Amino acid sequence: MLDAMSTTPTPPPTSVMPALPAMPHTSGHAVLEGRALRKSFGPTVALAGVDIAIGRGEAVAIMGPSGSGKSTLLHCLAGITRPDSGEVHLLGGRIDTLGERGRSALRRTRFGFVFQFGQLLPELPADENVALPLMLGDVSRTRAVQQARSWFGPLGLAGLEGRRPGELSGGQAQRVAIARALVTRPAVVFADEPTGALDQATGHDTMRLLVEATKHNDACLVVVTHDPGVAAWCDRVAEVRDGAILPFRPARGEVRDR
Amino acid sequence: MTRLLDLTWRLIRGGGSRGLLGSSLTVVAVAVSTALLLFAVAVNVAFAGRAERAAWRNPVTATGTPRALEAVRVEFAGDRVITVVHVAVLGLGVRPPRGVSPLPGPGEFVLSPALARDPSAARRFPGKVVGTVGDDALVHPGELVAVAGHAPGDAVMTATWRGDHRLGVSATKVSGFAGAQDNMAVGYRVLAALAGVLMIVPLLVFGGAAARLTVARRDQRLAALRLAGATPGQVVAMTVAEAVMTALAGAVLGLVLYAAAAPSLQRIEITGGTWFASDLWPGILPVAAVLAGVPLLVGLSGIAGLRRVVVSPLGVARRATPPAMRFVRVVVLMGALALVPALGAGARPTTILVVLTLAFLALNFAGAWVVGLIGRISAAGARTPARLLAGRRLADDPKSAWRTVSGVALTGFVAGFTGILTPSAEAGSDRMTALLLHDVRVGTLVVLAVSFLIAIVSAGVTAASSVLDRRQTYALLRLAGTPLEVLDRARRMETLVPLTIMGGGSILTGVLCAAPFASLSPSRDGVLTLLCCVVLGFGGVVAAGALTRPLLRAVATDPAPRPD
Repeated sequence: MLDAMSTTPTPPPTSVMPALPAMPHTSGHAVLEGRALRKSFGPTVALAGVDIAIGRGEAVAIMGPSGSGKSTLLHCLAGITRPDSGEVHLLGGRIDTLGERGRSALRRTRFGFVFQFGQLLPELPADENVALPLMLGDVSRTRAVQQARSWFGPLGLAGLEGRRPGELSGGQAQRVAIARALVTRPAVVFADEPTGALDQATGHDTMRLLVEATKHNDACLVVVTHDPGVAAWCDRVAEVRDGAILPFRPARGEVRDR
Repeated sequence: MTRLLDLTWRLIRGGGSRGLLGSSLTVVAVAVSTALLLFAVAVNVAFAGRAERAAWRNPVTATGTPRALEAVRVEFAGDRVITVVHVAVLGLGVRPPRGVSPLPGPGEFVLSPALARDPSAARRFPGKVVGTVGDDALVHPGELVAVAGHAPGDAVMTATWRGDHRLGVSATKVSGFAGAQDNMAVGYRVLAALAGVLMIVPLLVFGGAAARLTVARRDQRLAALRLAGATPGQVVAMTVAEAVMTALAGAVLGLVLYAAAAPSLQRIEITGGTWFASDLWPGILPVAAVLAGVPLLVGLSGIAGLRRVVVSPLGVARRATPPAMRFVRVVVLMGALALVPALGAGARPTTILVVLTLAFLALNFAGAWVVGLIGRISAAGARTPARLLAGRRLADDPKSAWRTVSGVALTGFVAGFTGILTPSAEAGSDRMTALLLHDVRVGTLVVLAVSFLIAIVSAGVTAASSVLDRRQTYALLRLAGTPLEVLDRARRMETLVPLTIMGGGSILTGVLCAAPFASLSPSRDGVLTLLCCVVLGFGGVVAAGALTRPLLRAVATDPAPRPD
């Protein structure tokens, strides 16, 4: 069902790609890698030296109870916040040392984001919401909207191109958000509780589409969740407790055993 | 009830800095509205006062036994106007006009203080000065007025005035000096009322909008209260209590603002002079009415905005495609405008006012439709994300943008028209026409300035509330790498595009329409003043939007947009 995506091979124009500093590719085949990440908010230690590596096409769930530091980990990996110490590498280039502008451009072009809800601009119809990141990257409007629309069929959104976010169901809105996250052909898609506002069946469908579409586009996926049902869709689960990662365990296998 | 009020108060205080910001925005908006409302009322009271004080110079022919003769001549000393009232007593028991004491006998004069202070002008009245013309008989503080006493047989008392009726009145047999308000004064009062309508209509709409915005931001909290078991009545009571408390604070602040601005307003010159301090005090009753009415109106529009939440506990607004604004509005406008000339010249001033008010309301309806059209057109042709966003937002909520620009659009034409005309003429009746033109120009510029002020405050409030309403989306967009400048630019365009097209367009149309009349000698001062007003106005609107940029930054850099 995701064939249509492969018929529109549209990498973002090189002009909007941020220049990544050339660094030796130290660690195997990792697309995204965090090394010894530490982050504190005042006296509260959110991350106490976390190492994590995500390989090509891999889907990783970051799980943990509230306050465990899983959101902070996602923010550090995605270049939203800077770690106090440690390094973040994307495709072998260090990104945590980039300035705010550089990280912002990086997030826009190399990363995709799916949040719980409220990320779509209410004034824009669905297709323009999806086209927005492309337009921000200087793609012409006609091409951006055309490219955006090519995602609607494969994601089961055909016919909803002109709907406004207020006229979409929660599941439909999340699929539009998935389209927007993938439209720039990012290297990594970050999802922060992507099904948190959905019922179980819709959440299930949304996760399946998110994982399939991400893999189909050769991107890796980082999902922050506290829902084992969501984590089960991923290849691996990284359990965060008190700012540190417990040993990796496979996600699908464990759930299948139950 | 007390417990409910107590809870409301605690919710206001516990709203955090963001809630406080929202409340202060409403306070500022209501304060400015109140101050301008007081100004609009005061303008009418002031012109009524002037008409009242000048009535004694417009003699009314006696129906019973005449007791005195009264004639009026207007003279010019350089570029200053001197009003000379000639009086001759016929019988006993004639009381001097209010403010004039005593009534001068033949050969005697009573001079206004400004005239008495000016030796060159006072030289025209060689005789015994027996008193002064007090404030009660003066149109404005610096007015030059002389009351000349005569014998009934003196030349001026028997001559018939054949010149311009604005420059003289033939001797008239009167039974007293009460007089009547002349046509000129009544005309000014009508114009003042019109200016009042022009200022009040956008103010009311804007004030109501400010109230609804506060309520809209409370949607979520109120829905939570409903879920927690509050009855619809309690929710309404709490919200209205909050809106009214905020509005009352704003209204009082507005009164202070107005009092602070009054000394400068007093210096605006109309009909050749400035104003008495008492002219700009609308009076206890009107002030009390405004102070009570504004919070009441805000409360009422709060209730209107609340209906949605009260209906359903889950009633947090979801935005859908708004129903397209109907072309009917434009038809209504055409109809209303067609009525204006159909009235003819014979209509009473009040009728004209009512119809003009209706026409403005119709323009108001059509204005939002036009803004929506501008939004759709600019969205359709948009190439940048900022322009697309601005266009879509205009099409989405054209009323909010129209509120911001409506005053400028409505006043702009007249301001543009009168702005470039030259009110300089040599003497006599041309001079009076020039004076009238000058007054209309000053008047429209004042209304235009007020309209720009409304636009500035409204732009600020709209920008701030739009940021607050969309704070989660903005924060998430920033996380996803959207540069804040794009959002900023979109917000700026959202106001500037309709302001330029409708406000600027209306001013330009006025200028173009007046151009044939002014082609020989456009008024340099007038053009400069108009230009300053427009530049300051546009600059103010941009600045008001820019002031909310830190707010955008603050909400968008919130590191945890998700309550984790």
